[in-house]
Order: sequence, then structure tokens, then C-alpha cells
Amino acid sequence: MIPLLAAGGFGSFALLRWADVSALFGILPALAVLALAVFSVFVAPGVRWRRWRYEIRSDEVDLQRGVWWVSRTLVPLARIQHVDTRQGPLQRRYGLSTVVFHTAAGANQIPELSTSIAAEARDRIADLTREQDEL
Amino acid sequence: MSSEAGPLLRLHPAAMVIGALGTIRRSVSATILPGVVFLFSQGLSPWTIALVLAGLVVVAVLAALWGFLSWRATAYGVVGGSFRLRQGVFQKSERTIPLEHVQSVDTVQGIVQRVFGVYEVRVETAGGGASEPDASLPALGRGATEELRRGIEGARREPVGAEEASGPEVLRRLSTRDLLVAGATSGQIGVALSLLAVGSQVFDEFFSEAFFRNLVDSLAPNALVLALILAPAVAVVAWLLAIAGTVLAHFGFTLSREGDFLYIKRGLLERREATIPLGRIQAVRVSEGFLRQPFGLASLRVESAGYGEDAGVSAVMFPLLPFDEVQALLREAAPEFAVSPTLKPLPRRALRRYVFRACVPALVLAATGALASFLVFDAAFGLLAVGLLPPFALYGWLRFRDAGWALERDRLVVRSRGLARTTAIAPRRRLQSRSVSHSPFQRRVRLATFLVELASGASGTAIEVTDLDAGTAEALARRLGPRGHPGGAA
Repeated sequence: MIPLLAAGGFGSFALLRWADVSALFGILPALAVLALAVFSVFVAPGVRWRRWRYEIRSDEVDLQRGVWWVSRTLVPLARIQHVDTRQGPLQRRYGLSTVVFHTAAGANQIPELSTSIAAEARDRIADLTREQDEL
Repeated sequence: MSSEAGPLLRLHPAAMVIGALGTIRRSVSATILPGVVFLFSQGLSPWTIALVLAGLVVVAVLAALWGFLSWRATAYGVVGGSFRLRQGVFQKSERTIPLEHVQSVDTVQGIVQRVFGVYEVRVETAGGGASEPDASLPALGRGATEELRRGIEGARREPVGAEEASGPEVLRRLSTRDLLVAGATSGQIGVALSLLAVGSQVFDEFFSEAFFRNLVDSLAPNALVLALILAPAVAVVAWLLAIAGTVLAHFGFTLSREGDFLYIKRGLLERREATIPLGRIQAVRVSEGFLRQPFGLASLRVESAGYGEDAGVSAVMFPLLPFDEVQALLREAAPEFAVSPTLKPLPRRALRRYVFRACVPALVLAATGALASFLVFDAAFGLLAVGLLPPFALYGWLRFRDAGWALERDRLVVRSRGLARTTAIAPRRRLQSRSVSHSPFQRRVRLATFLVELASGASGTAIEVTDLDAGTAEALARRLGPRGHPGGAA
């Protein structure tokens, strides 16, 4: 995001300073990037969040996400090898965690859950997984 | 640390030589190349030759010493239900691998090993080196190798009564003729071409430009003739290199089976002997390369969980065989994968998308070509790239026609065409996850992309069907889910 803002700002500056264009035209890159920034900071996350759904059933985990590219993934509990919760510094500040569960084919995650719910989800998946047959 | 190995065994003494050679080979760039350069730069006087030779001798002695120390510091054995490997001259380490985690014991025989009659033994674990690194013994004699194999595998395999296994049963051997055909049709010309490109750069450093100019002047009077000679010549050399590469890798390819294990022997200079436990095979891919399909030929690969570190995550099960004989071989080698149902095709409305996707590169080429030619030459003949559209469109149609899927007796079969036509077979219980995704364009025509993940190596692999009917994809994802009752997933 920040490099993009800088690029937009510099683009406008360059156009205004060195190119022979009207002031209105020169401001366009900066405005465009600003609009993009506003969109991705204030609008997009909300939409993305509303489209993120997960369900932990007794035999598998159901993940649905995506706004433009909608994707639904089903992971049988029997395939989950281990479950972790992960928390970056920014997440820590807001009390959020990501639940990551690993199959033999890689990792799937439920991002940005409140830490207590994340811990609950992790424990629930771990318990249910233990009850299942191993691969 | 006492000098005796305790209950652990030492490697074959040949390990010293092999270790020394390995050290010399690793230090070539640091020692021998500068020495050679030094030799040439100072002129070939007896003094500099003697100096360089002395340097080489010193390197050899140091390498031999290191080889001896390494040999002395290495010990292995099967102790108390696990495999132990102790090694390290300065930084000592002891690795313990529980026998249950050992997937296979493979042997590799390079030229040097063959000279001494020893084997490099690799103890492979599941996980392909991610969490539990594999253990490798540079040199063991034949007897010691068999002992180790018995010690490790014998503990896991149930004895089959008094039936002493007379050895694995050979399922199929690759004839020399088929080997050459495999090399000629391998489509690895791209790799060979890039190797040639690298090689030509080295060439440049040794021969002066005048030499080249004279050569070119004598052979080809004008540029056109030169191009006509050079291009096919390069292609032929690349093709021969590809054949050579295949011969080196797959000479004497033999697929055998004993009980629940497949054994693969192959290689010309470096003889490899690999084990694939049937229980670890996640999927089988039947690949009809674009050079092979016209002749009705195919190759087989297995995707195996946590097997092998060199070939990565999938191994060649058999390099070349007639497509019609694939099912028969699978029935003998890995019966779980021997299904060939009639495949359900994709819905008709997906054809447009396949053709469009295939034409995009041609369109992009035409657009940028037109732009470039317009800017540079003031003419739009870059648009002629539009002439590329028909073959690309045909390719898109082929991809649509060859795509198909089926679910037969709990095995998912998916066929697709990249460059080669590939049929992937995976049992339901091996699927790690299923995904159904769609873009807005797909949503508009009720299509979706279906994807299953498989366990293969460290990061997994996937089988995908693009532009399936959305309802069918959802239903398939549900059908491939776990059954209700415990143990039903088996």
C-alpha cells in the first residue's frame, strides 16, 4: 500500500513538474491512488470479512471465503495433522489470532478470529481430530 | 568419546575414498580451477607446474585425511526399535529415527560405489525431510546393506509363514528400444536447449572470435544458409542430449513388487534402487506426452507422501509403455489405482471459456506486436500475430475435449491436457481437502473450478478440473467427504 501511495504521489509530482500538462491532469495519479487506498482500507476489508464463513462439523471443517473469487474448501477432520493458533504483533494489539490447521498437503487457515474464539476453535478441531481414524 | 563404536557398526572402508573424492569435488571451484588458471597465466614453466602439482597433492592429502576422520566418526545401527546414526568430526551428532517412521531403505550406486562394490544407503522417512531429516550412509557392502534392510524392514513386515520370499517379482522391464524411444519423445528438448545455451557460453571463453568467424565463413557463405544449418543442428544436438539424459536416468528400468512394496531399479552410471510402499501412494498419473500420444504411448508417475528427496514429490513408476497396457500393469503393481471408467465431459458452455483462455497469449502477442511495430516501423504488421489464433484456438478446443472426470468405486479419476494429456487417479480416502471456487465470470454461466489436494512431499500437490458445472462440483465435493461412521474412511 505504502509503495503504491508513494508511486502515485511521485507520478503526480513528476507530471506536474516536468511534463507539459495541465494541473488538473497531473493530479490524476495521486487522486487515483488515494481513492484506491481509501477503498482498500475502509471498504474492502469489511466486504471481505462479511464473506468469510467457517463451520466446524463433526467430520470436517467447511471454509467459505472470497468476494470476487469465491472459494469453498472442505477439509475432513481425519486429514488434519495438527492445529495451531498464530498471532502477529498487529493482531496482538487488537486481540486477534489466526487458526492454522495442517494436512499432509499443506495448511489451511481461518484468519482474524478473536483470540478466545480462535483457541476454542483450535481445541475443538484437535479434540474432534483425535476421535477420528488416522490416515 | 571413546573410539569404539559400541553396538553400532562402522561404514565400509571405501567410505573414506568416497568421502575424499566428495571433498575434492566440492572444493574444485576453490582450489583446482584457480590452480589451472594460475598455470595458464604464468606460462607453462616447470616451476609453476611443480607448484600446481604440489598444491594438488596437498589438497588430495587433506581430503584423504578428512575422509579417514569422517569414516572413523561415523557409526550406525538398529538399536532398540530405532535406527541410529552417529556422525560428525568436529560437530558430533546422533540421529535417532524410530523404525515406524522409516518409510523405505533405498540404495544408490554411483560409478565410484560400483568400483568398490558398495552401496550408498538412504533411510527415507515420511515427510520427505521436512521435520525428520533422512539419514544417508555413503558406503556399505552388500552384506551389510542386506543386514540393515532386514533389521529395519524385517521388523515391520509380517513374516508370511514359512514362505521365504524368493525376492520381488519383476513386473515390467524397459527394453533398450523403448528406452531410446522414451528419450526421443521425452519432450525434454527445452532443458537440453538451455543446457546448450549455458554450454555455448563456456565455449566462448575457450575459443577466440576469429576462430569462430573463420569457421562460419568457411561453412556458410551467407547468413541465411548459416541460419538454415545452425538452427536444425542445434535442435538435433539438443534432441540427442535429451535422449542421453533419459538413457542415463532410466537405463535398465525395472519395476518389481513384493507384497506391499514396489521396487524400482534404474540408471546407467548411477544405479538407483528405490522402494515405494504401496500404502504411501496418494495418486497415479498416466501421462501421454504430445510426442508420445500419436504413437499410443504413455508414462506412469506416482505421487507419494513423503518419499524421496531428489525427484521431489513424484516418482516415475514406468517411463514408457503402450497406453493400452497401463491398466494391466496397474492391476499387478498397484491394484487400487487400476480403474478406467468412462469419463464425464465438461458442459458445453465451458468450451467458449477454454478457447478464450487459450487465445489470450496470441491476442496479447498481436496487441503488443502491433503496438511495437506501429511505434517502430509505423506499420501495424504486428497484427499478423492474429494468424496465430487458429492453432491456439484449436489447442483450447483440445483442452476442453480432453477434460473429463469420473468417480468410480471410490476412486476419483480426472483427465486434463496441459501439454501432455494426463489422467490422474486418486482414491477418495487419499484426498486431503476439496475446494470449489468460482470467479464472477464462472458464476454467470454456472461453472466452477473443482480442486482436490493430495499429500505429496513437503507441500502437497493438487488435481484440478476447471469449468465444471457448478452444481456437479458442489455435489462432487460433498460425495468425496468422509463417510459417517468411524473407520468408514478406510
